Amino acid sequence: MTAQPLFKIPQPTTDMRGVAAIVGLGETDFHADYQAARAKAEDYEAPTTEGLATLAFERALADSGLKRSDIDGVSVNYLYGGPTAAETAQMLGLTPRHVIDKGGICAGPIPVASAAIAEGECDTIALIFSVATRSIGRKFGGQLYGDGAPSSYYYHHPWGWSSQAAHWALIWQHYRLTYGASEADLGAVAVQLRQNALNNTNAVMQTPLSIEKYLASRYVVNPLHLFDLCLVNDGAVCLILRRSDMAKDLPHVPVLVGGWGEARVTANKLHMLVRERLRPQFQAAGAQALAMAGVTLADVQHFEGYDASTIHLINHIEGHGFVAPGEGLEFCKSGGMARDGKLPVNMAGGILSGSYMHGWNHVAEVTRQLRHEAGARQVQDVQVSMFSLAQTDMVHPIVFTRGGQ
Amino acid sequence: MVQKRPDRTLGGPHDVFWDYCAKGQLHIQQCQSCAGFSYPPMKSCEHCGGANMTWQPMSGYGHVVSHCRFEHDYYRGIFAIPHDTIMVELAEGPIMMSNPSGFCNDDLTPNMPVKVAFTACEDSAGVFQLPVFERV
Repeated sequence: MTAQPLFKIPQPTTDMRGVAAIVGLGETDFHADYQAARAKAEDYEAPTTEGLATLAFERALADSGLKRSDIDGVSVNYLYGGPTAAETAQMLGLTPRHVIDKGGICAGPIPVASAAIAEGECDTIALIFSVATRSIGRKFGGQLYGDGAPSSYYYHHPWGWSSQAAHWALIWQHYRLTYGASEADLGAVAVQLRQNALNNTNAVMQTPLSIEKYLASRYVVNPLHLFDLCLVNDGAVCLILRRSDMAKDLPHVPVLVGGWGEARVTANKLHMLVRERLRPQFQAAGAQALAMAGVTLADVQHFEGYDASTIHLINHIEGHGFVAPGEGLEFCKSGGMARDGKLPVNMAGGILSGSYMHGWNHVAEVTRQLRHEAGARQVQDVQVSMFSLAQTDMVHPIVFTRGGQ
Repeated sequence: MVQKRPDRTLGGPHDVFWDYCAKGQLHIQQCQSCAGFSYPPMKSCEHCGGANMTWQPMSGYGHVVSHCRFEHDYYRGIFAIPHDTIMVELAEGPIMMSNPSGFCNDDLTPNMPVKVAFTACEDSAGVFQLPVFERV
């Protein structure tokens, strides 16, 4: 059984292509906050959802060049509880005419906010994501993890099988047998993303990773090593989305929300995940997003994929059809996913080495890349970027394009 | 010897599944409209949404599709690590997560055939029979 989505994602229609643009971006200090959380100095105060949200919003507002009074919409996305959108607006000194409370991980809230703009509910909306994941001790497996729903996350406890990592472990075990891949082949993905993170001063991970260090790391769920699995850290991201015809003459080039798609697994979940690796869902949702944006897969010059694990990032690359099934690891090993490769992937380090902001960090990187403000990791002349979220039973991509100024 | 295990999901169709297990039988729900199997147990068919499902006996035979070994103690001592889990496709088609019995994951060969067995376990709701898989 598939968990019901928190919100309904609007139908991808071409009349909503490019209606909304990202004009403001704010992030918290992922690296510094992670270091402080690890060091736990005597005067250390754990961050709060509200504190992180406020900082990200203020930075996004400053980045956008807009006035506080220009913000007439607020969408809140607090995974582990927090103030309502109305309370958040009050906290931030905003007086929105439209608020959205049912937010969550990226990408869904962006189409929802885009539709609100298209329908005239608001012109400029702040989407605020904030999580104190590490500080609240959030668990990602085990008996206390779950809500009793009969999904794969929660059902198999008596056999000692739970956690997100366990899903990816089954995929990787099946993949390596099917295609004859080795642990070092998969380690190349972790190493590549760490290299990307080294070009991002705000990435959580700032120390180089070698294949030797990867292979020597402990197993979490064998055959997956520690470095195959995403980080757990605190932080917030704020994106300011504005009607694109009002997005000119601002400090940064607008980043247009070109198109989106959605596909879900409704039956045979473990089969679809482990043997099909969600390929039918990647294909269907990707086609919707590309068609809405009016581009083809070959037009995508930069890709940000939800790298909950190394193998899951390969599911994205193969599933969308950037490379054929079974060719993803070789593609990575030969430099295909590097900044100057055929398809630069997760340039800020993703959630494996960058920051576990549940997809919001990926869209933040899309924003920097399409503005051409990504510094040492800038993909040359990028005009079209694709972000793709995939969990264990759904795929939800968004295609973004560089707007005119 | 009764093994301590993390808690089952109970209530509604789950109780029916475990009641069959208590008798040493593996039954899976089958839809009377589309003939599709649904597992884990659920109130309506995962394929077509049909509400009329019956419990079908399985042959107990299947093969191992994939597997993984838990080396992180997610269950905080309830179930000692390392422990092995296997993804089994039953001959009739449904897929279950389970544990190997009488062998470990290092012994697996590709698509290795297995058959169901039941082992006495205990969770916070009491003693129950857990379906696990042996070599054929």
